[in-house]
Amino acid sequence: MAEKRKKVLGSLQPDVEDILEWNNLPDNAFEPASAQEKESFIQDRKSVSYWKDAWRRLRRNRVAMVAMVIVILIGLFAFVGPLLVPYGYDEQIRGANNLHPWHYSLEDQARIDAYMEEHNNTANLTPDEAVEQAKAEAAAKGEELSRIEEAKIRANAKASQGSGEGEVTEAAAIEALGIKAKPFGYSDDELQRMENGESVFPHVFGCDTHGRDIMVRTMIGARVSMIVGICCAIIVLIIGAIYGSISGYFGGKVDAVMQRIVEVIYTIPEVLIILLLGTTLKPVFEQFQNSGNGPLQQLVTTLGPNLISIFIAFGLLYWVTMSRIIRGQILQLKQQEYVTAARALGAKGGRIIKRHLLPNCVGQIVTTTFLQIPSAIFTESFLSFLGMGVSAPMTSLGSMCSDALSGLTSYPYRLFIPAAILSVMILCLNLFGDGLRDALDPRLKK
Amino acid sequence: MAKYILKRVLMAVITLFIVICLTFFLMNAIPGSPWLSEKTPPQATIDALNEKYGLDQPVIVQLGKYLANIVHGDFGTSIKMQKDRPVLDIITTMFPVSAAIGIIAILWAILVGVPLGCLAAYKRGTWVDSLLRVICTIGISMPGFVVATILLYLLAGGIDGFKIFPTIFDGSLKSYVLPCLALGFYPMCYLSRQTRTAMLDSINQEYIKTARAKGLKNKKIIFKHALRNALIPVITYLGPQVAFTLCGGFVVETVFSIPGLGRYFVQSIQNRDYPIIMGTTIFLAAFIIIMNLVVDLLYKLVDPRINLSKGGN
Repeated sequence: MAEKRKKVLGSLQPDVEDILEWNNLPDNAFEPASAQEKESFIQDRKSVSYWKDAWRRLRRNRVAMVAMVIVILIGLFAFVGPLLVPYGYDEQIRGANNLHPWHYSLEDQARIDAYMEEHNNTANLTPDEAVEQAKAEAAAKGEELSRIEEAKIRANAKASQGSGEGEVTEAAAIEALGIKAKPFGYSDDELQRMENGESVFPHVFGCDTHGRDIMVRTMIGARVSMIVGICCAIIVLIIGAIYGSISGYFGGKVDAVMQRIVEVIYTIPEVLIILLLGTTLKPVFEQFQNSGNGPLQQLVTTLGPNLISIFIAFGLLYWVTMSRIIRGQILQLKQQEYVTAARALGAKGGRIIKRHLLPNCVGQIVTTTFLQIPSAIFTESFLSFLGMGVSAPMTSLGSMCSDALSGLTSYPYRLFIPAAILSVMILCLNLFGDGLRDALDPRLKK
Repeated sequence: MAKYILKRVLMAVITLFIVICLTFFLMNAIPGSPWLSEKTPPQATIDALNEKYGLDQPVIVQLGKYLANIVHGDFGTSIKMQKDRPVLDIITTMFPVSAAIGIIAILWAILVGVPLGCLAAYKRGTWVDSLLRVICTIGISMPGFVVATILLYLLAGGIDGFKIFPTIFDGSLKSYVLPCLALGFYPMCYLSRQTRTAMLDSINQEYIKTARAKGLKNKKIIFKHALRNALIPVITYLGPQVAFTLCGGFVVETVFSIPGLGRYFVQSIQNRDYPIIMGTTIFLAAFIIIMNLVVDLLYKLVDPRINLSKGGN
């Protein structure tokens, strides 16, 4: 339009001809709009809400979207997975101890056994078998084995089994025969049952020393981590938002005192206190749990005393950052005219905070709360790894890793599966949180 | 300046006092006593033991006595793990081990992390930047024990014929490598990210434009003008991290069986050896708080723009 008006270069005079043309209205200009026209008119002006706008920005962030999909997948794995797998996280499956996440079919196993039998003699017997054999031999000669002899044979068998020198080990036999392992673990018993036509759910990640299915345990562990993360974030949100907004809104002496308290908590070495709180609260809750049968005790029982003490430890220490961020926001926002207007209309402090101030810093609040989740998961896994998080038979990714540490060389996957899921989960939550921050608060974007 | 320092020192003392009280009350809140084991001793023995260690008095009295003793440098003696050995003695023998590993770890984290951050900022938008960002983001998402165990598996005998370093810490030079690598990895990644952001911030400042307009070489601008200012936010992070790495390393010390203070702290909690828990917590907390204080004061010295007389914020 602007160019059209200036026909003469440099003239500020609008082009009158054009403007006069506007008056030439079509004949139907004053007819009532049809229903369809009305509809399209409304649609044109459909307002984009804050959340929609943020979602649009977030969708364009490819990294954040991929991270979100992975987080959702892990969430499904953790919450829906245990329903699909027929094993319990503390169910010890007989004959499935130390099962690898791969198996050999029954024929292959027979071939391996035959090969090993052929190449090794008694040396490869288990201690018990060696003793049995020696006993049988002695009985044939009409003698009886003394306890010392029995112990000697047992020790010999153990030593030769362990060293595997000069004989064929199972691994070597498998290599020599060129047998390929099939994915997923099955115990011998289960293989037999499959042979008979039963369908058996595989142990996808194998089983641990007690014969517990590692996949189910990983699912439960991931679930514990996610619950801890979300609950801690909510606790932090509630305490931090209330504290921060009161401190920021009232200002003056109230603010000074409250901020001194925050500063003190800020300088307290948090991990030390969390370790202490985690261990001291646990027995307190256990005692409380056993003290009666009221509804509160029931609640403690369902959540588990360990989890509650972790929540409290987090809630007491981590709200500080949240409260600082919210205070900063409120300090800025309370200078705005609409707050003055609300005050002039007689609104009380609580109402102004609730209705006017907090909704306006919702972007910051959501991002900070969300980024609290990975940090809580991080700390929980650390606590569990040191043996101070959830206690057996309940499991968490951290405690699974620490359990697997002793057998690291033989069963590395027992450590690396939960460790990988944990790391990927934290990574994706962090990436998604960053994306969320960029989407909700575009001013902060760098 | 003097007023500010005084205020900060006072603050630190108050914090330390709160930590001491908190630890003390928490210790007393634990149900069960250090004397309980599989064979519960007769009540008379328990009473005698309680009297000997002053556990029969009211909590407040115990706290007062404890505080008075600390002022005199007496942290009490171990009552369970190493019976009757003074706690201070235990701390002074264990802390140097943790400190040595911590110092090496933090040094390599700084020496690698800061240059990497500069490199990323310098090559912003290229594949170098993206690669470094991916590595560092993954690095800060991996809990310490994951890094430690992966290193343990890869370089200490997990793979056949690939055992370069010992699994268990024995004080030899070789056994220092893995714990230090593991302990420094997280701070390295974090520092590198921090440095990158800070560098980008300072590169966009006016004085860099001036330097460019004057015709200074790019390298000189980056390392002489931008880096100096970029290091200020990095230092703030470094303070608490140095303190924590020096004494903490709970996980790394557990994984590599290092006889350091961190592992001992964890063990003492599991064994409920009150004097040791108290002693170590107070020692570690004091150390962290003092390091924070020092860095805070240094920070103001490094950056003359910060006005001290007006205090924080």
